[in-house]
Amino acid sequence: MDENKKSEAFQIGLSVITLLIVFTVGEYLLGVIAVDWWMPLIAIGLFKAFFIIRDYMHLPRLFAAEEEIH
Amino acid sequence: MASQIISLAEYRRRVVTNRLGLWLFIISDSFLFGGLLVARFYLLGTHQRPDVSHVVGLVVTSVLLLSSFFMNRAEIALQAGDQKSFLRGTLITLALGTLFLVGVVGVEWQIAPYGPSHDAAWSLFYTMTGFHALHVLSGVIFLAIIYRNGRKGLYSPDRHWPVEAAAVYWHFVDVVWIFFYPALYLMGHAIV
Repeated sequence: MDENKKSEAFQIGLSVITLLIVFTVGEYLLGVIAVDWWMPLIAIGLFKAFFIIRDYMHLPRLFAAEEEIH
Repeated sequence: MASQIISLAEYRRRVVTNRLGLWLFIISDSFLFGGLLVARFYLLGTHQRPDVSHVVGLVVTSVLLLSSFFMNRAEIALQAGDQKSFLRGTLITLALGTLFLVGVVGVEWQIAPYGPSHDAAWSLFYTMTGFHALHVLSGVIFLAIIYRNGRKGLYSPDRHWPVEAAAVYWHFVDVVWIFFYPALYLMGHAIV
């Protein structure tokens, strides 16, 4: 992995954590203010999980051919 | 027994198989946590939750999310051949994982108004957080092994499957908590 790819990967990681923190604070406020709004909480959970699975767990690697890896 | 060094092509072929095995394990482990979530909604519905601290929930959740961020950085650093950043990222992840455990078991469990034997809802609360904490603990142990081996220089940009496996497992534990957090701390009114 060269320097450009490394900083690009770092940037993606930073964007994901920013998004996760913003949504976590959002769901906290939602949970405190609107206690019966459970549907948005589930939606936010799914949204957060999607980004972690795609960008941190690298699910697409599972479907990559051997020669494409690294 | 003589050690055998396999070719890079063979190593990569094995990683592809290992990766499939890891994801199969993760899917099977998800059923356990899925079952616990179903039990939570069956017992309490969407309008009730255990009377636990909102603030502790937010803090431990943020700590776990940050740990995932540093694990991701550590993995990227290793892929780029930056051993120092890899070790630093792994160590921070380890520390944050330990902090999460302290937050849940050392703080939340101690300030909770009832114990696990109070009723089914509280029993479920301790079961859910306990099972998750055990997964975090095994992740912390796994990361400690990775850190120790990393210091010995056992991983390289081309050969670091154990690091990838530890990272994927760690992020999985994070994903589980993403659903446990609203289910236990945010949804519905606290049962008094």
